[in-house]
Amino acid sequence: MIVAERKPLAEILSNVRGAGKVLVVGCNTCVAVCMAGGEKEVAITATQLRLALRKEGLEPQITERSVERQCEREFVAELGEAIAAHDVVLSMACGVGVQTLVEEFPDAIVYPGLNTTFMGRPEERGVWSERCIGCGNCVLDKFGGICPITRCAKGLLNGPCGGSANGRCEVDPENTPCAWQLIYDRLARIGQLDRLMDLEPPKDWSTSRHGGPRKMVRKDMVL
Amino acid sequence: MGASDRMVVMGCAHSAGIARDEWAAEGCVLPDDIEWVSLPCGAGLDELHILRAFESGADRVMVLVCNDGACQSVTGNRWAEKRVEEARRLLEEVGIEGWRVAFKTISPTMVTDLLPSIEAFRSFAPAQDEASQEGTS
Repeated sequence: MIVAERKPLAEILSNVRGAGKVLVVGCNTCVAVCMAGGEKEVAITATQLRLALRKEGLEPQITERSVERQCEREFVAELGEAIAAHDVVLSMACGVGVQTLVEEFPDAIVYPGLNTTFMGRPEERGVWSERCIGCGNCVLDKFGGICPITRCAKGLLNGPCGGSANGRCEVDPENTPCAWQLIYDRLARIGQLDRLMDLEPPKDWSTSRHGGPRKMVRKDMVL
Repeated sequence: MGASDRMVVMGCAHSAGIARDEWAAEGCVLPDDIEWVSLPCGAGLDELHILRAFESGADRVMVLVCNDGACQSVTGNRWAEKRVEEARRLLEEVGIEGWRVAFKTISPTMVTDLLPSIEAFRSFAPAQDEASQEGTS
């Protein structure tokens, strides 16, 4: 899932202050699960905006809406009338959702309410951690299902480095395990330690962000 | 800022609610400017409830839940405390002092403590330089 966090209210206010009608739009998928931009967070943000602007002597109309997925045309289509009736849209979706609104409603003024942070998973209640950078050429098969690109601070494909101590990463020993310790333990557990005898060649990063903005076309799906 | 103009008390039905019912059975009533909101459990409290109370005109909110070990949802009281802390943070972002939300645990038998606790918070007014730090929790 995409993990995000709410922007500081002051930053949001700097964008929406002065608008007479503000539409706060949430997304009930990834950012609802990470409790950043779902229906409840939309309500919290809208309430905060009302309280903050009231203190400034302003009484804008602030409307709350949420859609199932803000990153898809079909789901945001229902927002058309509401967006047209408001001066400003505050999107509580990830960056994809914000840009979907911009592309589908080119006349709308859309501001982001979240900082999109990473693709990850919830480890426990209130804790999310990164698992994938979307490099475009998955190597999880070689490393026991643990991604060295995402989880090693140096992204080493032939690790560990000298900064691994007691199974922890030197970058943040308290919070970060050494990815290569995890890889070793995992490969040992599933009987594939011999995989570590293979030297991994330099990675072709052209499938990642280094090759520029990416686009995927499934010709069998295009009519 | 002096005493409260309008205060909301959010009380767990398993502790504060029972104390309040016993207190009411003795013929006592809450002052008109105090609104009681019954929570089925402290675990049901959400920071949004607190924000919405302020949006509706409350100038302070008191949350009363069960003592440790007495919560029927085991950790509902501590969850409520977390929600209060988050509500304070959200209110401070808006420019409303965090001390305006109080958190207190209470047992169903603490009938005689109920009103004094509410009144103490109702009249609480920190000194200007302490306003950002003071609270009653």
